[in-house]
Amino acid sequence: MDPKKEQLIGIVGKENVLDDPQTLEAYAGDQSFVLPIKPWFVVKPKNMSEVQELVKWANETRTPLVPVSSGPPHFHGDTVPSVPGGVIVELFLMNHILNIDRRNKMVVIEPGVTYSQLEPELAKEGLRVTMPLLPRGNKSVIASLLERQPTVIPRYNYSMPEPLRNCGVVWGNGEITYTGESGNASYSLEEQWRGGLVQVDPKGPAQTDFFRLLTGAQGSMGFVVWASIKCELLPSARKLFFVPAEKLEDLIDISYQVQRLRLGDEVMLANNSQLANMLGKNGNGAGVLRDELPSWVLIIGVAGRALFPEEKVDVQEKDIADLAQQFGLKLLSAIPGTTDKEMLDTILNPSDEPYWKLKHKGGCADIFFLTTLDKIPQYLKTMYSVADTFAYPTPEIGVYIQPQHHGVSYHCEFNLPFSPKDAKEVAQVKELYSKASQELIGQGAYFARPYGMWANMVFNRDAQSTIALKKIKRVFDPNNVMNPGKLCFQES
Amino acid sequence: MALSRDAYREFEDIVGKENISDDPAFLDSYAFEWLAELVRPNQSHFMPRPVAVIMPASTEEVQAIIRICNKYKIKAKPISTGWYHWAAPLKEEDDTLQIDLRRMNRILEIDEKNMYAVVEPYVICAQLQAEVMKLGYDINIIGAGSSTSIVASACAYAGPGPSSFWMGNNSDNLLGMEWVTPTGEIIRTGSLGSGSGWFCSEGPGPSVRGICRGTLGSRGAMGVYTKCAIKLSHWPGPRELDVGGTVPAYRLPIPDNFRVYTIAVPDWDAWADIYYRIYDNEIGYIFHRQFNLAGADLGPALWLNYNDPTKTLGDIEELVEKPEIKELTDEMRISFQLIMAGRSMRDIELQDKVLDEILAEAGGWKVKRFCEQDMAEFTNMYLQRMGHKHMNFVWVGGYLGSWMQSGTPDWVKGYVPIAIEGLYRDAANGLLVECGGDALMGCGSQIGGGGMTGLEQFVSYDPADSDSIAAGTQHMIDAVEDATSNGFPPGKEQLYLQVGQKDEEIWASLEKSAQPMIYHFQRKIKEAFDPNNIGDRMYSILPEETS
Amino acid sequence: MALEDYRADALRCTRCAYCKWIPLDLIKSWRFSKGCPSIEYSNFHSYSAGGRLVTALSLMEGRSEVTDQVIDSVFKCQLCGNCDVTCKLCRFDMEPLAALHELRLKLVEDGHVLPQHKPVMEGFRKLNNMLNKPKAQRGDWADGLQVKDLSSTKAEVAFHAGCRYSYDGDLRQVLTTSIDLIQNAGVDLGIMGKNESCCGGRAYHMGYSPDYRKAAERNIKAWANAGVKTVVTPCADCYHTFKRLYPGAGSQVEVLHMVEFVSRLIEEGKLKFTKSIPMRVTYHDPCHLGRQGEPYVPWQGKEKKIFGQAVVYDPPRPRYNGAQGIYEPPRNVLRSIPGLELVEMERSKEASWCCGAGGGVREAYPEFSAWTANERIEEAKSTTADAIVSACPWCERNFIDATKQNDTKMKVFDVMELVQQAL
Repeated sequence: MDPKKEQLIGIVGKENVLDDPQTLEAYAGDQSFVLPIKPWFVVKPKNMSEVQELVKWANETRTPLVPVSSGPPHFHGDTVPSVPGGVIVELFLMNHILNIDRRNKMVVIEPGVTYSQLEPELAKEGLRVTMPLLPRGNKSVIASLLERQPTVIPRYNYSMPEPLRNCGVVWGNGEITYTGESGNASYSLEEQWRGGLVQVDPKGPAQTDFFRLLTGAQGSMGFVVWASIKCELLPSARKLFFVPAEKLEDLIDISYQVQRLRLGDEVMLANNSQLANMLGKNGNGAGVLRDELPSWVLIIGVAGRALFPEEKVDVQEKDIADLAQQFGLKLLSAIPGTTDKEMLDTILNPSDEPYWKLKHKGGCADIFFLTTLDKIPQYLKTMYSVADTFAYPTPEIGVYIQPQHHGVSYHCEFNLPFSPKDAKEVAQVKELYSKASQELIGQGAYFARPYGMWANMVFNRDAQSTIALKKIKRVFDPNNVMNPGKLCFQES
Repeated sequence: MALSRDAYREFEDIVGKENISDDPAFLDSYAFEWLAELVRPNQSHFMPRPVAVIMPASTEEVQAIIRICNKYKIKAKPISTGWYHWAAPLKEEDDTLQIDLRRMNRILEIDEKNMYAVVEPYVICAQLQAEVMKLGYDINIIGAGSSTSIVASACAYAGPGPSSFWMGNNSDNLLGMEWVTPTGEIIRTGSLGSGSGWFCSEGPGPSVRGICRGTLGSRGAMGVYTKCAIKLSHWPGPRELDVGGTVPAYRLPIPDNFRVYTIAVPDWDAWADIYYRIYDNEIGYIFHRQFNLAGADLGPALWLNYNDPTKTLGDIEELVEKPEIKELTDEMRISFQLIMAGRSMRDIELQDKVLDEILAEAGGWKVKRFCEQDMAEFTNMYLQRMGHKHMNFVWVGGYLGSWMQSGTPDWVKGYVPIAIEGLYRDAANGLLVECGGDALMGCGSQIGGGGMTGLEQFVSYDPADSDSIAAGTQHMIDAVEDATSNGFPPGKEQLYLQVGQKDEEIWASLEKSAQPMIYHFQRKIKEAFDPNNIGDRMYSILPEETS
Repeated sequence: MALEDYRADALRCTRCAYCKWIPLDLIKSWRFSKGCPSIEYSNFHSYSAGGRLVTALSLMEGRSEVTDQVIDSVFKCQLCGNCDVTCKLCRFDMEPLAALHELRLKLVEDGHVLPQHKPVMEGFRKLNNMLNKPKAQRGDWADGLQVKDLSSTKAEVAFHAGCRYSYDGDLRQVLTTSIDLIQNAGVDLGIMGKNESCCGGRAYHMGYSPDYRKAAERNIKAWANAGVKTVVTPCADCYHTFKRLYPGAGSQVEVLHMVEFVSRLIEEGKLKFTKSIPMRVTYHDPCHLGRQGEPYVPWQGKEKKIFGQAVVYDPPRPRYNGAQGIYEPPRNVLRSIPGLELVEMERSKEASWCCGAGGGVREAYPEFSAWTANERIEEAKSTTADAIVSACPWCERNFIDATKQNDTKMKVFDVMELVQQAL
C-alpha cells in the first residue's frame, strides 16, 4: 500500500480514506474554468484532533491539503487542487451543531453543518442565521461565511464578515488557536459555556483579528473546525415588497436611502433574468418568465421580531412607501411573474435541487466583485458590451446586486448561464469571463474574493498587499501545505 | 540617550527645522502622561523622554522618517491626540522618536452617497461629526470622547462608544486604511490597495487589516496609520446643533423624533434582562451607562450640581445630604441612558411603545428627574457629542479605569458585585475618592447590533498626592486579584500595570494565558513586518525561547 | 502667588488636550474648531496650556532649563484664556490660565525676557503708555471737549481712554462718542487726560508684575484722590485689568465697559437710535471683555478634600470659566441699531477665537499676531458679514492691519462707532 495512504488511515481510519478513481475525478474540477488537477486522496476527519494530525502529517510530508466543507457542485475553483499530489480533506463528518444560545442569539457549529441542516434546528429555538441568496442545501455555513459570501440582510451587516464571530482553527503549521474572545479562554468550549462565555466578540485575541486572516483565504491558512455565528431572532411577522423599474438607474437613489435609513431586512436588486432563475422557472422558448417580469426590481423584505412584530412591519412598510413615493416609484406586493409570498419563500430558503443557477442551462459562470452602488451602471454597461463582442445574449445575464455593510459597499454579480456540454459555448464563455473580468478590474471593480484566474489579475495590481499576504502566509503555513497555489501563494 | 547629530539632521531634512525638536522641556511634554505616576519608579509623572519629537505633514514624510528609524535603530512611536501613558516612549534604554501626527489633520473626503469619510490621524471625532452632520450623517464617537483621533480608535486602539449599538464599533466602521509599516512600506488595505477606492477594508483574499488590529490595535507599535476611511451612519436630527445652556453644562434641544431617557432598574438581573430586550427589539440610537462614572453614591448630586453654573464642586457635599437627592440617588443607583432616534414619527412612537413594554416586563422605569427637559437636554448634548468625557477626571484629576472585561450582559453582571465591593473596600481609607462602589460606566453594546458590553470602574485618585497615587496602584493590583480569584480574566488595569512592568513579568503573564500561541504568532508577525524592531512592546509578543 | 503654587495643577493635568479646542459641544465645523492660536501656529505640545504646565513642572523639578525654545513656547501665547474655559468644562480644580501667567512672571523675574519686549517696557516706564508715544500727547483726543479734569477736580465717574484709543488715530473717535453719550446721560464724569496712566494690564500679561503693580497703585491713588467711584472704559484690556486685577492691588471702584453703559441706557429707554445702518455684521468677543471679563470675587483660602480625595476649596473658590463674561450687552446694543443684522461666528462668547494682539504677542511676534487675526477675519467672512465689530481697540487694530495686509473688503468697527452712526 502507498505509505501515504497507510499514514492517512492511521489518522482517520480506513473507511475515511478514499482514492477510487470516481471520487478523485469528482474533485479534479468544478463548475469554474480552473485547470483540472486530480487529488491523490480524499480523507474525512471526524474531529479537531484528527484535523491537527493531518496538518502535522502534511507538514512532515510536504503534502498539499485542500479543505472542503460543502457538498457539490463547487463553483470557484477553490476546492480543486492547484498542484498535484494533494489530499482533499472533507469536513462533512464534522457536522454537529455544538450549542444554540437563544438569549445571546449565538450558535456554534462544525464546518460540515449546512444551511438546510441548521435553519430548522435554530427555528426550534426561535432563531435563524442570515443566509446568502439561495445557497445550495449542502452548502457549509462556515464555508459560506469564511468566503465572505454576501448575506441578504444588510442591516445586520455591521462588518463584512458578519455574522461570523469566533473560529476554532488548526493553522497550517499545525498549531491550534481560537479566534476572537474564545482565544482568551480554555480550549474546552464546554468550559467556556459553563463560565458564561458565548464566543460573541469576533475581534482578536490580542492585536490580531485572526478570523480575518481566514476569511477569503480559500482554505490557504488553516482549517476552521468550529465557528460561532450570530443569529437573528426568527421573525413572527413578515412582508415582502417589490419596487420595479425599467432601468437600474431608477433604483439607485432609493436603494441608497433604504440602506441609509436601515429599512428592510432582506434587500437586494435584481434584473428579470436573475429573478426568473431564482424562481426556477427560466427556460428557453416563448413566454419565458423573464419577459414577464419587470426589467429591474428592488426587493425589500420586512420583518417584525420580539415585541409588536406586526406594528414593526407596518411602520416599516409605511416608511418605505413614503420613500418610494418620494422617488416616484411604487411599492408593490406583486409584480407580473411573481408574488410576495413566492419571492419570500424563495429567498428565505436554500435552493432546491438542482441548484438554481444550473437549472437554466446546466452551467453558470459568475463574475462578482465589490463596488459602491453608483458605479454599478457603468459596470453593467461594460459587462453587456463585452458580452456583445462575444455574441453572448445579454438578456440571459442575471444581475444580482446585494448591499453590504449598511450600504457602503455592494456585491455586484453577473451570472452567465451556459451549456457545459457544448464545448464551443464553454470556450466562448471562458473567454468572455476573462475579458469581462479584466475590463471590470481595470475600471475599478474590486474583486475582493480572487478565485481562479482573478488571482493574478487582482494581485498584480496590489504589490504591497501581495507581499504582506505572503509574509502572513509564512507565519501561519510556513510549508505552504494549505491549498497551495491559491490567491498569491504560488510557491512553497 | 540623545539622538546622534547625523540622525537629527536627516530627520530635520525631511520635515524642516521648525518641525523637530530635542529641547528637554519640549520632550518632557511628550514624556508627561496621565497614568505614568501609577506605574513609574518614584511615582514619576514622566515616562521615558523621547530622543526627539518630530512632526511630519504627509505620508511620504512619515515613510522617510520610518526608514531613518530603521537605519539608526531608533524606536518609532506615533502619537496623535495622545491618550494613556503608553502613547509615550516605554523604556529608558530605548532611543525612541516621538512622531507627533498633529500636522496631519485634514478631512480628505466625505463621500455623501456612499457614506464614508477619509481622515488623517489628527482629525478628532468632534470635527468630523460636525462636518458630516451638515450632510445628515453621524459617526460613532468612542467612549473616550470627541477629542480623540478617529484613526487612532479605528486602527490603533479599541473603538467602542455609546453609539456603537446602532453605528458599530470603530473596528467595524473601519474601511480602507493607509499604513506605513515599520519597514517604511506603504500598505493600503482592502479596496484601496486595488485602486478601487476607500469603501472596503476586507481582502483581497484574506484581509491584511487582520494584522493591524484585533481586540486592540498596536497602540503605536507597528508603524503609523496615516489615513483611514470610516463608515458614517444616518443622523435623523438637525443639520446644525442648536446648542444652548451655559458653560459647562451645554444642552441640546431634543427634536420630536428623538427620545432621551435615563432608565433605572431594581437590580443587576433586571439590568441584564433589559439589555437583552433592547438588543432583541433593536431600539436605540445611543445606548450607554454614562452618569454612574461619577459614582452611584455621588453621581446624581454631581450632575445636578454641574448643571448649575453658580455652583462649585464643594457644593455637592451639602447637596448629597438633601432628602430628595438621597431619594434620587437610590432611585437611579442602577441606571443607564438610552437615546432613541426615529427615522419617522411613526418609527419613534413605536420605539417608545416598545421601550415602555420592555420596562414593564423587566421592571425598569424612567428616572423622572433626569428625563425632565433640563437634564434630558444635557444628557442629549453629552451623549451626542461626547464633549464632556473628561468628567472622568472631575474629582481631582486622577482617574484609572479598572475592570471593563467585555462579554455578554449576563457575564458582565457576574463581576459587577465584585467590582463594587472592591472599590468600596479600596476607597475606605480615604485615599481614593469615595463616590460609591459602583462607578461603573460602559457601552450598552460595544458591538453593532448588541450582544456584548463591559463596565469600567472609574477610580479617582489625586495625582498630586503620593499616598493617593499609591492607593490607585494598589487598587489595580487588588482588582487583578479580585477578578482572577473569582474566575474572571484581569481587566483594563492590567494593561496600565504592564506599562510599568519589565518584559519578563509581561511574558510570564502572557505565558499563563489560555492560548499563549497567540503571542507567538504575533511575534512571528512582528518579525516579518518589523525585522529591525523599531516598534515597541505595546504590540504584545512572547519570545521564541518561551514557546 | 508663585509658580510652585501651581505644581498641583501641573501634576493633575491629564494631557486630555481639551485646551487645544473650543468647547467640543460648540464645534460646528473642522475649520473653526480650534481654540488655541499658539498650538495651532506652532504645533508642539509645549505650545498648549497642558504643555506649558509640563514645562512648569519640568523646570520646577530641575529636569530642564529655560532655553530659547522654552521662552518661545511660554511667550508665544496671547493668554487668551480659551484653554481655561475648555479645561474647566470638566475640571473644578485646575487654573491653567493663572498657571500660564505665573510661568511667565517667573521667567521674567528670573531674567528670561523677550528682547522684543524690552523697548516696549522701557517706553512704558518712561512714557506711561504701551505704544512708545509721547506722554504729552496722550490727552490730545480730548481737545475741545468740556469734561472735568480729574487731576484737579473730583467726579464720581472716571472715563479711562486707554493707551490704544488715545494714540491710534483710526480709533480715537470712539472716545469722543463715549464722552458725549455719558455726559448726555447726565453723569458726573471726569478724565485724566494727558495725566492718564496706562492701566498696566499689558505689562502684566507680558510678565512684568512689578511694573504692573506700580501702574495699578498709581491709578488707584489717582482715583481715590479724585473721589472716583466708577471707572468706565471702552477698552476691553483696561476693563479686564481694572475689574479683575486691580482688586488684588486694593481697588474698590466699580468698573464698566462702554458697551455695558450703553446697553443699560437702551434698556432704560434713555437711548434711541434714529438712523439705520443697513449692514450685516458679526461681533467679535474680546478675550478680556468676554470670557475674561467676569466679575471678580476676592478669595483667600486653601484646598481641602472631601469624599476622600475630591479637591474643593475652603472657603469655596470662585469659578471663572467664562459663564459670566460680558456677552449680551454688546449684542444688545448692536441688535438695537436699526438696519443692522447681527450674525454670529461659529466661535463666539466663551469660545471666541483670539484677535491675536494680547499677551505681548503683537509686540513680540507680529507674524503670529497677524496670522491669528487673519484666522478670525476668515471666520468673519464665513458668516458673509460685511463687517467685524468689536469692543476692544487692540482687537480692532489687529483686524484693521490684517484686512489691509490681505486686501479684504471686510470692514472693522468698534461698537461705539456704529452707535455714533446710528444716533
